[in-house]
Amino acid sequence: MRRGHLAPVAALAAAALTLAGCGLGSSDESGSSGAKPTVDANAQVTGEVSFQTWALKPKFTSYVEGVIKAFEAKYPGTKVTWLDQPGDGYDKKVLSQASAGQLPDVTNLPPDFALSLAKQNMLLDVAAADPKLAEEYVEGGVQAYQYQGLDGTFGYPWYLNTDIDYWNATKFAAAGLDVKNSPKTFDELLAAAKVMHDKTGGKEYLMSRLPGIGDFTNAGVKIVSDDGKKFVFNTPEAAALLDKYRDAYKAGYLPRDILTQEYLGNSKLFTQGKVAWTTGGGNAIQDFQKDNPSLKGKVVPSPALDTPPLYVQGLSVSAKTKNQAAAIALARFVTNAENQAAFAKIVNIFPSTKASASDPYFSKSDGTPESDAKVLAFESLAKAKVLQPPVISGATNDFIGQQISLAISGKMSSQAALDAAVAKANQLLTQ
Amino acid sequence: MTTVTDPARPVVKETSGPPAGRRRGSFGFNTVSPREKVVRYLLLVFVLLITIGPFLWQLSTSLKGSGEDIYTRIPKLLPAQPTFDHYKAVTDTIPVWDYARNSLVVAVLVVGGNVLGASLAGFALSRLQFRGRKLVLGLFLATLVLPGEVTIISQYVTVREFGLANTLFGVALPGMIGALNVLLMYNAFRSLPIEVDQAAIVDGANAWQRLVYIGLPSVRGTISVVAIFAFIGAWDDFLWPLIVLTDPDKYTLTVGLQYLSGTFSNNPRLIAAGTMIAFIPIVIVFATLQRFFFKGVEEGAVKG
Amino acid sequence: MRYNRWFTPWVLVIPALTWLLVFNLWPSINTVILSFTNARPIGGGTFVGLKNFETLLHDEQLRWALLNSVIYMVVCLPFLTVFPLLLAVLVEKKLPGITFFRTAFYTPVVASAVVVALIWQWILDDRGLVNGLAEKLGVISGPLPFLSDQWLLLLSAISLTIWKGLGYYMIIYLAALGNVGRELHEAAAVDGAGPVRRFFYVTVPGVRGTMILISILISVSALRVFSELFILSGGKGGPGGRDNSVVMLIQQYSQGFEGNLGYASALSIVLFFVTVVPMLVLARLNRRGAEA
Repeated sequence: MRRGHLAPVAALAAAALTLAGCGLGSSDESGSSGAKPTVDANAQVTGEVSFQTWALKPKFTSYVEGVIKAFEAKYPGTKVTWLDQPGDGYDKKVLSQASAGQLPDVTNLPPDFALSLAKQNMLLDVAAADPKLAEEYVEGGVQAYQYQGLDGTFGYPWYLNTDIDYWNATKFAAAGLDVKNSPKTFDELLAAAKVMHDKTGGKEYLMSRLPGIGDFTNAGVKIVSDDGKKFVFNTPEAAALLDKYRDAYKAGYLPRDILTQEYLGNSKLFTQGKVAWTTGGGNAIQDFQKDNPSLKGKVVPSPALDTPPLYVQGLSVSAKTKNQAAAIALARFVTNAENQAAFAKIVNIFPSTKASASDPYFSKSDGTPESDAKVLAFESLAKAKVLQPPVISGATNDFIGQQISLAISGKMSSQAALDAAVAKANQLLTQ
Repeated sequence: MTTVTDPARPVVKETSGPPAGRRRGSFGFNTVSPREKVVRYLLLVFVLLITIGPFLWQLSTSLKGSGEDIYTRIPKLLPAQPTFDHYKAVTDTIPVWDYARNSLVVAVLVVGGNVLGASLAGFALSRLQFRGRKLVLGLFLATLVLPGEVTIISQYVTVREFGLANTLFGVALPGMIGALNVLLMYNAFRSLPIEVDQAAIVDGANAWQRLVYIGLPSVRGTISVVAIFAFIGAWDDFLWPLIVLTDPDKYTLTVGLQYLSGTFSNNPRLIAAGTMIAFIPIVIVFATLQRFFFKGVEEGAVKG
Repeated sequence: MRYNRWFTPWVLVIPALTWLLVFNLWPSINTVILSFTNARPIGGGTFVGLKNFETLLHDEQLRWALLNSVIYMVVCLPFLTVFPLLLAVLVEKKLPGITFFRTAFYTPVVASAVVVALIWQWILDDRGLVNGLAEKLGVISGPLPFLSDQWLLLLSAISLTIWKGLGYYMIIYLAALGNVGRELHEAAAVDGAGPVRRFFYVTVPGVRGTMILISILISVSALRVFSELFILSGGKGGPGGRDNSVVMLIQQYSQGFEGNLGYASALSIVLFFVTVVPMLVLARLNRRGAEA
């Protein structure tokens, strides 16, 4: 009798958990340590395979279609179904696909998306299927798809980008600063910000960005413990960095409203001509000028302060794919040196293949600021590192940001704010 | 079982019944003195200035030439080099008409479902007596505060289990009868004078006849409100259609407009033009339906 | 011939009720269950008992969020109950061009969040319209930190809500005004009542039911405010997250692949109990008023 009463409740609870999004769930596949492909290296590459990209339509439609056509020609009998998802809401879209067990065979996933899916054994370890991976792709790109505590590489690095600095020459001149000799370290940046503030009577700003995890990494602070189980960035060095920002903020070297600015706040302010410094990708000049033509000829690029950040996009293969051989072949084909180089020539990204390093297109400037910026960015790539570990996303990221702005506003000591951020981040990590 | 008496009395009639035989507007209630006119227009323009900013900004951005700074310190309202290029670019970039048609299909389903479902339920809850009425009413009220923030993925799983993933019907389905609309209709029916119903019952009218001939014509205003809310909700929704639809041919306009902002490029002028295009149907629907707000009583069955 | 069968009302109610059960009630039950787990968006979760609720008790951000929500409701309620009604009365009368005004007043409701954010930041930032004007007039010596001070940011968001709500509630009132019936106004006018008296003695009682419904809607949506605070705080909830609302917290915890659905669900349940209170109070007011 008792069982009869409890059974529906248990069933309901189970159903609810399924509805909550597990869908295919990890439990039914548990036991296997990571989704090791059992692929036969000689398997015939043929049949249908689906391919999902992120916001490439309609600008790059012809490029992607060309690549697909070439793939289908190279492997007769294959048919690629291309899906392109809109820019907004991509995380929700992929989540719902994952919950429904309908991840496309090959999907463009940034490293942090791939991490979560890899944890649930939803992605294939492509390195196991393709031993040449490490040889042909740059180290930073491959590492971005390898995670602490997980065994394997969960995506082919597709394209890379980094940030360099951009300065507004007019504002530099107005403050009596030399834009050709722009700040190279954080301390020089602070000094220049003071000059700009003092010389213009507080009317012009240089800096407009709150520090983040990337800045901590750059200051030599370790973010996550070696075993990946704990956040450890509440060090005195991190606090000292926040203190410098706090003092600068208090002195009025930064616009007050940055405490509530969005992530892209500083490049927006730069475009609007409100601040004299921003970071941005190698193609940023074109964007600044498009939105604000009066900036033409006034933007001067220089290498990023300290270590440049590395941004990686990649193609992952679903663990559930029914056509592993074709999926792996497609991911590899789209990311090969030739196709990446062609892509990099129509849009400002950089290839993740080692073979592209010698391509003069990326290493020689034609003398225009736009071209200078591209070369600068390409050269920075060699030094660039992933500055923000992929475990920091969502609520963790928001909470850390909130504590940092609290410290900058002076309402809490930097150390206390960092301690709170670490405590909360750890709680979110283990929950 | 079904009777008309409703414990929740309408308020209107307590003041006084309409005096029999009086002609509407026969003594100048509707005429406006010149002074009042001036005051009214001044107030209207004042509110207009407060409300219309974003619309104007969007419109002017969409008309600004590519060589113009759109982020000037003081927003410039008049484009220096006005151009319709961006509108053309939008229609060249994405199949606006196809997407608009998909949006329209969803919107029509949602509007139809809400007008029908909410009217029926609202009528029953306010004009008919039945066991469980209070409970049902309470459920609808409770829905307003039910926690619905984290349910979108489970909503998708439900729609998928109905076999409606990647269909326009699946996009429309969850929104086809909104609890808020049921409450709005309930409220509208409730404010009709009970005497009319009673008279109709004496004449031998059943519940359906009272709904069709007396109820619905008198609440046209609220029906148009429900229609407007339903239309705008369906037309503007982005995340839900994005999750349900996989086939780009089935995209609704809001999802399709996302193609205007790509990974490597963003032209705010183009996006503004797209937004304006999506805005036009809303204006049309609103302007068409708003006049019904004011006709309900004039043409209704409420005769002294 | 018997038309009034016992099931007639049920036939009318069943469609709406079905939707309610499938698309509102069922997901809510789901949320309740989730709140006792540590579920993530993918991969399900395990039962953790009351742990989420224990965490809630010590969550400093939740306390701020609740305080903000209550302030939000208390400020919004009177403004949004009264202004849209006045506005409705203003646009009710047929004047040349009135359709244009009615439509224009409704545009903020449908304006896209991005545009609204741009406009309001332009109005409120340190060198924005308000600060610029006030400085020119000499009212203030330095710019007011509308977007960086905890309380001013909250106030700014409230103004944004009121601005957006004007048009929305205006049209609900408009429909209700249509139901009031001109005869009453005419009768009152004959009796020598001026516009102000007519407003208080005819219009207000005429839309009393709607007013109650609207105040319920205002309180509920004020307690569940999201987009305005999100827009003005750049999505981050202000310094220290002290300008969060409960819904913003829910959104922060449930977003992305590593979203904490269990905790977000527990927060949803707190929100449910918080919103039920004013609703019950207002619904009771309604009944008492109706019976009087």
